[in-house]
Amino acid sequence: MSECIVVTSGKGGVGKTTTTANLGVALALLGKKVAVVDADIGLRNLDVILGLENRIVYDLVHVIEGHCRLKQALIRDKRAAGLFLLPAAQTRDKTAVTPEQMRELVQQLKEDFDVVLMDCPAGIEQGFKNAVAGADRAVIVTTPEVSAIRDADRIIGMVEAAELPEPELIINRFRASMVEAGDMMNKEDILEIPAIPLLGMVPDHQDIIVSANRGVPVSFDEESLVGEAFRRIARRVTGETDVPELDLSPDSGWWKTFKRWMGFAPQQGVAG
Amino acid sequence: MKDLINKFFGRPQSSKEDAKQRLKFLLIHDQVDLTPGQLEAMKSEILDVISKYVEVEEGESNLKLERLEDCVALTSSIPVRRVVQRAASAG
Repeated sequence: MSECIVVTSGKGGVGKTTTTANLGVALALLGKKVAVVDADIGLRNLDVILGLENRIVYDLVHVIEGHCRLKQALIRDKRAAGLFLLPAAQTRDKTAVTPEQMRELVQQLKEDFDVVLMDCPAGIEQGFKNAVAGADRAVIVTTPEVSAIRDADRIIGMVEAAELPEPELIINRFRASMVEAGDMMNKEDILEIPAIPLLGMVPDHQDIIVSANRGVPVSFDEESLVGEAFRRIARRVTGETDVPELDLSPDSGWWKTFKRWMGFAPQQGVAG
Repeated sequence: MKDLINKFFGRPQSSKEDAKQRLKFLLIHDQVDLTPGQLEAMKSEILDVISKYVEVEEGESNLKLERLEDCVALTSSIPVRRVVQRAASAG
């Protein structure tokens, strides 16, 4: 059974597009047929994060206005079998499509794909309404910052108003060393406010910047901890319930054991 | 400097250089509202037309956008092998 998942946040700059790209890659690597859709019309970026910007001929607005067929606009990612991108238009704006048209588009995509991942634009205006129109459920991305969590909380209400089931949360840019120093909210602190299930936590790491520079999502990198975080989240998205939490603690090995033994260890709550 | 050293040792270029190149490319294409894919399609159509009259080296032909001081230019280099027989072009 195929479904459409919208990746949203309210606040801009928390990592929606990076999350969409990496979940798309990770789900495709799990053998799913995935379409990632850039719903940020006028400010497309998903193509750049995926490194597929050179291959765009047609976009989402072309499809909706009937200038091309859906299949012509879908860009196949040669690095991951089953992964396709539907890019946003760059020179139009969000008024170029209506929620009705988005719903139809998603229906059409669901005939061919297991998962349709919708990258929602920031904000709560028409762009958001378009992106959630065809969705079956929502994933909310936040960071351990007051402003991002506040906006996530507001978005939960809007997702529920759109009659979607309870959304799930991804905590992005988590820095275990800062949590340990008492300078960042930990998992429990964050989950007190948006009281929704946690899909996983993604560590803040320079791998993300390098992967964005190169246009190669970090989910492809088997060595990367960030990649592993996204791969585990993808497994949870598919319904796997026994995916172990990823250890994000700042120090590992004998030093951590020693500190714990000495009684200096932080609580065991910094895993995602 | 680091890039020069990398080049010398045949290492891949730094991700920063990748980022810079991709950004320049994107900005130029945004400015003229023509995607690289559309440019590629245009190139193949132009080559089709030219091929009616002269035989060209398709593999070595290029068509690209370049940023000049105050505008974007479409530049092209299409090596010609020889003129196609008149009879063939008449159809």
